[in-house]
Amino acid sequence: MGADPMLELSEYFFFAGLIATILALVGYVLALASVRVARTQPALAGPQPSAGTVTVVRGEPGGLASFGTLTTWLALAFLTGTLVLRAVATGHGPFSNMYEFSIAFAWGSLAVYLYFERRYRLWVLGVVVLPVAVALLLYATTLPTAADPLVPALQNSLLLTVHVAVAIVAYGAFAVAFAAAILFLIQSRFAARRLPNAQLLDDISYRATLVGFPFLTLVIVLGALWAEVAWGRYWSWDPKETASLVTWLICGAYLHARVVRGWRGERAALLLMAVFVATLFTFFGNLFFGGLHSYA
Amino acid sequence: MSQVIRTTATRHRRTHEPVADPDDRVSIAPSYVLDRIFRFFISMKLGLALLLVLALLTLAGTLIAQVPSGMKSDPQAYAAWLDGVRPKYRGWTGTLDRLQLFSVFTSIWFRAAMALLITSLLACSIHRAPRLWQKAARPRMRMPDAFFERAPLGAQISSSSTPDSALAGLTQAFRSHHFRVTAEEHEGVTYVCADRFRWGPFGRVVAHLSFVVILVGGLIGSTWGFRDNELAVPVGSRVTVGHGTGLSVEATSFSDSYYMNGAPSDFASDLVVYKGDKAVRTQTVRVNHPLRYDGISFYQSFFGPAAAMRVSTPTGARVFDGGVPLPWGSDDGKHRIGRFVLPEQGLTVFLVGPASGEVDRTIQAGQIQLEVYKTGQDAPVATQVASQGKPARIAGLDFTFVRERQFTGLIVARDPGSWLVWLGATLLVAGMFVVFFFPHRRVRASIKPAPGGSETAVAATWRNDARFEADFDDIVDDVQLAIDRASTT
Repeated sequence: MGADPMLELSEYFFFAGLIATILALVGYVLALASVRVARTQPALAGPQPSAGTVTVVRGEPGGLASFGTLTTWLALAFLTGTLVLRAVATGHGPFSNMYEFSIAFAWGSLAVYLYFERRYRLWVLGVVVLPVAVALLLYATTLPTAADPLVPALQNSLLLTVHVAVAIVAYGAFAVAFAAAILFLIQSRFAARRLPNAQLLDDISYRATLVGFPFLTLVIVLGALWAEVAWGRYWSWDPKETASLVTWLICGAYLHARVVRGWRGERAALLLMAVFVATLFTFFGNLFFGGLHSYA
Repeated sequence: MSQVIRTTATRHRRTHEPVADPDDRVSIAPSYVLDRIFRFFISMKLGLALLLVLALLTLAGTLIAQVPSGMKSDPQAYAAWLDGVRPKYRGWTGTLDRLQLFSVFTSIWFRAAMALLITSLLACSIHRAPRLWQKAARPRMRMPDAFFERAPLGAQISSSSTPDSALAGLTQAFRSHHFRVTAEEHEGVTYVCADRFRWGPFGRVVAHLSFVVILVGGLIGSTWGFRDNELAVPVGSRVTVGHGTGLSVEATSFSDSYYMNGAPSDFASDLVVYKGDKAVRTQTVRVNHPLRYDGISFYQSFFGPAAAMRVSTPTGARVFDGGVPLPWGSDDGKHRIGRFVLPEQGLTVFLVGPASGEVDRTIQAGQIQLEVYKTGQDAPVATQVASQGKPARIAGLDFTFVRERQFTGLIVARDPGSWLVWLGATLLVAGMFVVFFFPHRRVRASIKPAPGGSETAVAATWRNDARFEADFDDIVDDVQLAIDRASTT
């Protein structure tokens, strides 16, 4: 749909965002690799710093890490531009097909990651979150970019925008929780000197889940509300609906696992990884199992 | 001048179990057997296991083809459906069927896990609610010294101020952090309990119980509600809704419109709802815009061709006059099929018309094929192709295909449980936000007189509230400052 200059501009923003995300990832990977040299750096030294408070781990990231973070902000800005331009061009939230939804998912992962990075100075999470964002954006490049008008079921501007916007926050939070959980597992198995201590990673994954879980609940509730209006029933065991319930149940299991002896730590982290796999399954599910969510 | 000795917060939770606040300890019911049962249901391990089992079953329900609802009660249709999926699941088809995995969400496994989960949720709520109440309303005041020494977050403040002014300073510091402060003196030691968001943990009870509310709402809806997924209303005709509603619905028009790319843009039916013979509601129903009347909802769902038919006796008496929807497609996709019944004559009439875009030599555009059966018999009395406007005489009646029409397909449903579902959903989300964003924060302190002043110990346990740690440090800083100030004045 090259006819609309806004959509064309939005494509340029998209590619700029993709390039920025890749550059940021490169920066972070190099930063992580260079930590080995700067072993004394307080930010990342040793698996068990003396007082494991959040403030202690907050060291100055090296130049490469700063570059990574700055470029991630840039990527977020570009992708925001992509989404805003598409929303303006189409007159509804940019969430009506897989192309738009993939970009929005990547946007959510970057946004939630940057929030945690800002708050806890944990740029190392970016080493896991950014590949997820890059993969989503590369996937988006394979999809048709046409801004097709909405089919009748999607003609509910308010719910389309809110339901999916909330989903993006939830998915982004699960991406960050997943990143922290992976790093936690690596840390607790191999005591990697380059990574922050396991306790902090465990806390971060829990905090990200505390954002993700209520938002996912809201996604499901809003989805049910919409389904009642558009499909005539609030729950119809539609595959995408069901997949989101799987995610919700595993996430609920994770929260309970944290207070059950023998499930804390590694097993809980594995559950969080399952949450993210289920999230991806929910996201991509409609591609292979049809159902009422056939559009995105 | 006071001196602060912060106890270092050991945060290696895997090796170090946080000291439990005595209020959190579980007390036990008297009867042994009942106690064992109760303990089984309130165990977090059971909840965890059930959630994982439900997650696995739900996953199975997503991955394995599920039989459409209602079809399982019809053995013939179910067998046909099973044959349809057999190529996909091959030798596993029988096993999956026996394990009820083609209907996971009504299977014994799913129902049993749900029932156990509800029991567990209720038991947990009964068990926890009074304890939360006690914790919020009447917290235990006197804490042993060991608590202050071993709590995960702690600080010791020695000061030259008197115990009374230390208490005043401490109270002021806590209040500035929006904490409620209660104090009690016992054998010369002042025990302080300061807390904030003490009603937050009730969000947990609300969230857990709301899950039960949602399921109860779903159960009520499926037990006492009704749902008709295939109410086809030909344009210009009135169709009774049934299910004891006394309603009928007329479609005065239907339109389907499309975008340039062929995708649908709108389906709209102009409907009139009648109660008896009185029109009670007129509305254009679209996808996303249902018509609601007296607890009954009409949703736009599907559409298709219909035939306006007239049947009369040779003397001209009307037997039937109305639209007949042709909602079914033939197996080869070339024809649309509909059916109507003439109860007084004991006849069932099948109408077969060409599907749109299909060219058929036997039934051409502007024609319809009539297959008339004596109700209950397998062989037709007659099969005849009728052209529009030309009566065809079959079984002593004149059948006239008046014209082609469209029908609009509606879902009509009454769900008396839906308000509970929405109430539960609201409570679930609200409860969850309260639990996660307003966790109960409680800090304990003890003030002892010491030579030359006072000794203040501040301690807190924290579970699942990671943000609290930094706040605790801030509070201790302020407490120290306030006690300091109290000693110099």
